[in-house]
Amino acid sequence: MSQAARQIQQEASALHEKEGKYLTFTLAQEDYGLEILKVREIIGMMEITAVPQTPEYVKGVINLRGRVIPVIDLRLKFGLEAAEYGERTCIIVVEVQSEVGPVQMGVVVDSVSEVLNINGDDIEPAPSFGTRLKNQFILGIAKAKGTIKILLDIDRVLTSEEITGIDSLGG
Amino acid sequence: MTDQAPKSQELREGLEGLALKVVMLEEGDLPGLGAFLTHLEKIQAILPADHGPEVALLFQQLEDVGNKLILQEIAPVARAQELLSQGVSLLLTWARESTFPGESEPWKVYHRGAQELGLMKAAAAPAQAEPEAEPEPAAAMESQIWEDPELVANFIAEAREHLEGIESGLVRVEQAPTDLQAINAVFRPFHTVKGVAGFLNLPQIQELSHEVESLLDEARSGRLQITAPVIDLILAGVDRLKDMLDDLQEALSDHRSLQRFDLQDIKEMVKKLQQQGVPAEAPKLAEILEPQEEIAAPDMDQALKELQAQEKTPPPAEIQVEAKKAPPPNAAPPPVEQVKESKRAPVAPPAPAAPAAPAAAAEGKAASDAQLPATVKVDISKVDNLVNLMGELVIAQSQVRQNPNLLTISDPKLERDLAQVSRITSELQMISMSMRMVPIGQTLRKMVRLVRDLSRKSKKTVELHLEGEDTEIDRNMVEAIYDPLVHLVRNAVDHGLETPKERQAQGKPPEGHVWLRAYHKGGNVVIDIEEDGRGLDRDRILAKAQERGLVQPGEQLNPTQIDHLIFEPGFSTAETITDISGRGVGMDVVRLTIERLQGKIEINSRPQQGTRFTLRMPLTMAIIDGLVVKVGKERYILPAVAVRETLRPAASDYFTVQGQGEIIKVRSQLIPLLRLHRLFRTGNGDIPPTEALVMVVEHEGKQRGLLVDDILGKQEVVIKSLGESFQKIKGLAGGTILGDGRVGLILDLGGIFALAQG
Repeated sequence: MSQAARQIQQEASALHEKEGKYLTFTLAQEDYGLEILKVREIIGMMEITAVPQTPEYVKGVINLRGRVIPVIDLRLKFGLEAAEYGERTCIIVVEVQSEVGPVQMGVVVDSVSEVLNINGDDIEPAPSFGTRLKNQFILGIAKAKGTIKILLDIDRVLTSEEITGIDSLGG
Repeated sequence: MTDQAPKSQELREGLEGLALKVVMLEEGDLPGLGAFLTHLEKIQAILPADHGPEVALLFQQLEDVGNKLILQEIAPVARAQELLSQGVSLLLTWARESTFPGESEPWKVYHRGAQELGLMKAAAAPAQAEPEAEPEPAAAMESQIWEDPELVANFIAEAREHLEGIESGLVRVEQAPTDLQAINAVFRPFHTVKGVAGFLNLPQIQELSHEVESLLDEARSGRLQITAPVIDLILAGVDRLKDMLDDLQEALSDHRSLQRFDLQDIKEMVKKLQQQGVPAEAPKLAEILEPQEEIAAPDMDQALKELQAQEKTPPPAEIQVEAKKAPPPNAAPPPVEQVKESKRAPVAPPAPAAPAAPAAAAEGKAASDAQLPATVKVDISKVDNLVNLMGELVIAQSQVRQNPNLLTISDPKLERDLAQVSRITSELQMISMSMRMVPIGQTLRKMVRLVRDLSRKSKKTVELHLEGEDTEIDRNMVEAIYDPLVHLVRNAVDHGLETPKERQAQGKPPEGHVWLRAYHKGGNVVIDIEEDGRGLDRDRILAKAQERGLVQPGEQLNPTQIDHLIFEPGFSTAETITDISGRGVGMDVVRLTIERLQGKIEINSRPQQGTRFTLRMPLTMAIIDGLVVKVGKERYILPAVAVRETLRPAASDYFTVQGQGEIIKVRSQLIPLLRLHRLFRTGNGDIPPTEALVMVVEHEGKQRGLLVDDILGKQEVVIKSLGESFQKIKGLAGGTILGDGRVGLILDLGGIFALAQG
C-alpha cells in the first residue's frame, strides 16, 4: 500500500522536488547521481574487513574515525561486472534513513565526477524496464551535459534487508 | 500599610540574617549561638506592635532554645537546631505574608518538635492545628516545579535512592525492632525527602513522607513498638512515594500537572497505629528513655549499651554533618543552592522548613555516603563520550607507534617521549573508565525488599546475606544485570529453598539462606547467587529435556551439562514452574542477557545442599580482554574469558568421524573441532589441523576446538557495534579497531556453536 502510494505521489508531485545538487559518480561507464544532502564525505579506498554471511556486494566494514561502518560495492549491488579497485576508486560515505534512525554507510564507486545542479525540468521518472531490471532504486533520470545521470534513491539501496540480504544469508 | 513598608523590609532582612545564622550553627558553637541570640533580640526590638500571640510565643521559644543550647540543657542538639530553623522559617513566612501561618504544616511540625523538646508545657497548645490543612493550591505548585526542572530531577533521583535505602534499612529494623540506629537509618531519609519536597513545594510527597516519618518518630522515641503491620505500612508508604515520584517524573517530562494521590488510607492506618502506641500523655524527653528500657528489659546489657552509645554519639551521621557544616561548595551542591534561593526569591513559597531542607539534605547525604569525598554530578552521556574518545586515543596512539616510518628512526628522546605519552594515555583510560564505575551495592540492596516480599508470600523464612557491596561495576552494566539478578533471586527463594518444614525434616535449620556475593576476579566482576536449598533435580531435568527432544535418549551427559539444560530455550515452559524445582523459567533469557554483556553464567549445584549461580562479566561493557587470531587473511577477536587453552594437535590426537566430523583429543577429553575458515569462508578451509592452532573454548559448559591459523596477540579491545545492518549475523558480537586502524570482528561463541550445528 505505502509502496503504491509512494509511487503515485512521486510521479504526481512533479519531479521538481528532486531538483537540487547531486554528487555524480561513475560505475562501469554509466553516470549516477546521489543527493548531495545525503553525502557525508568522500574517502579514498582503504582496507575493508570482510564480514561473513553477507552477500557478495557487502564488502565489509571500515573504521571511519573510530566508528565502524558497512561498505557496499555498488557495482556488485547493481549486478555490474566486478572491477579491480584502482587509484580513482572511492568510498562515498552517505547517511541513510533506516528504521532506527540515520545510519552511515560507505559505497564503493569507480570514480567521483562532480557536483551538479540539476533542474527539475531535466528530471524524468524512471522508465520501467519490465522484469529484467528493477527500478526501485532509481529516483529519476536527469538529462545534463548531453548525457544522462541516473539519480539513486540511496535510502532504498541501503536498507538493512538489502545489506544483510536475508535470502542469501546462509547457515 | 505604606509607612510600615520600610519597617517590614527591615524586619524581613533581619529574619533572613537570622535564618543564615541558624544554618551556619554548629554543635557546641557558642559564639554562633551568642550571635543568634543577639540578632534575635535586635529583631524583637523592631517588631510591629500588632504581632500576634503566636509570634510572641515563637520568639520566646527560640530564645529559650538558644539559651538552653548554650547551657547544654537540651538534647538532642541536632533536633533543637532543626527546631530553630523551623521557627525562623515560620517567622519569615509571617514577615512576608503578614499573616501568621498558624494552620500550616510547618507550624504543626514545629509545634510537634517543640512539644518533644519539652517547650510546650507553659504555652497553650494552639487549637487551630486540628483540621488537616491542605497546603497550597495545585496551580501555585506547578509553576514552582517548572521554574527549576533540574532541581526537581535531582530530587527525584535522590529520593529514589533514599527509598531504596529505606527498603533495605527496614528489613534491618524488622530484625531488630529496638535498634535505634536502624530506626534512625530509616527515619533520616524520610526526613530528607520530606524536607526537600517541602522546599520544592510538592505537598503530597511532603505530606506522605511526613506521615510515615511521624510514625517512625514515635518508634524511635519508644512510644510505638515496631511490629509487622508498622513495617508493612511503611513499605506501603514507600511504594506510594515511588508512584508519586514516577508521576512527578512524567509530569516533568510531559509538562503536565501532577496527579492527586489518595493518601487517606495510609493516613488512617498511621493514626490507628499511633493511637495504639501512644500513651495517654505525650511523655517529655526525659521520660522517653524509660519505655525504651522496658522494651529492652529482657536484654538489659544490650539496652544499656545502646543507650550509652546513643547518648555519647547521638546518631553518628549527624555528627559527621556537624563536622562538615559549611561544606565545600561541591560537597552537597543542591542544598547550598537551595539556601541561596530561599533567601533571594521574594515569591518563595511559605517554604515549610525551607532552611531546614539543606541541613536535612546534607544529613541524608552524609548518612548514605558518609565516607564519600566531594563529588560532582555529570551527565552520563558526557562520561560515555569521554570513554569512547579515550578508546580512540589509545588506538590512535598505537597507530602512531606502529607507523613504519617511525620505526626507522632511532632517537632515544623520541622513544622516551612516546613511552611517556603511552603511559599517560593508559592512565587516562583507566581514570575515564573508573568514572563510569559505581558500587554494586545499590543493586544488591534492591534485592533485600524482593526477598522479604517473596519470603512472606511463600511462607519461607529467608535470610539474605549481601557481600561485596563496594564492588565496582560499569554503570551501564548495573542496569543490564538487574533483571537477570531479580530472576535468579526469585528462583532461589521460590524454588531453590524448601519450606521450613521440609528443611527441618532434612535436619537443616528452618530458615533458608540466600547469599549475594559480588567480587572482582581476574579482570571480571563476579556475582554469586547461592542458596542452601534442595539443589537441582538432575533426573527430572533430564527426563524433561528428553521429553522435549532437547536430549536424544541415548545421549550421555555429565552433571554440568544436565544442569545447563535449564538454559535451553525449549526447556522453559509454563508447566515446568512447579515441576522440576521450578528452575528454568526464563532462564534462557537470563543466559542471553548475560552473554550479551560478554559474560558467562555457571551453575554449581549439589543435591540437598543448594545451588550457586555464578555470573562472570567483564568489568565494563565497553572493553573486553581479547585474543586476536588470524584466520585466512582476516583477524578475529576471541573473548579471552572463554579460552581454556591453545594447542597444536599432534597427528595422533586428530580423528575424523565418517569423514565429516572432526575431533581432537586433549588429554583424555574428546573435543569437536570447528573450522573458522569454513564457517566464515576465508582462507584455506582444508588446512590440516597439525599445521594450525586449536583454541579450546568453552561456552555454556560445552567445549569446542576452534581452528585458527595463528594467534597475533592478546589485547584489550574496545567493543564497537557493527550497526543495525549486521544485527542478524550469527557468530559476531561486534567489532573493534585494531592497532593498524583496521576493523577486527569480535566472535560470539554461542553464535558460532549454533552456526556449526546447523
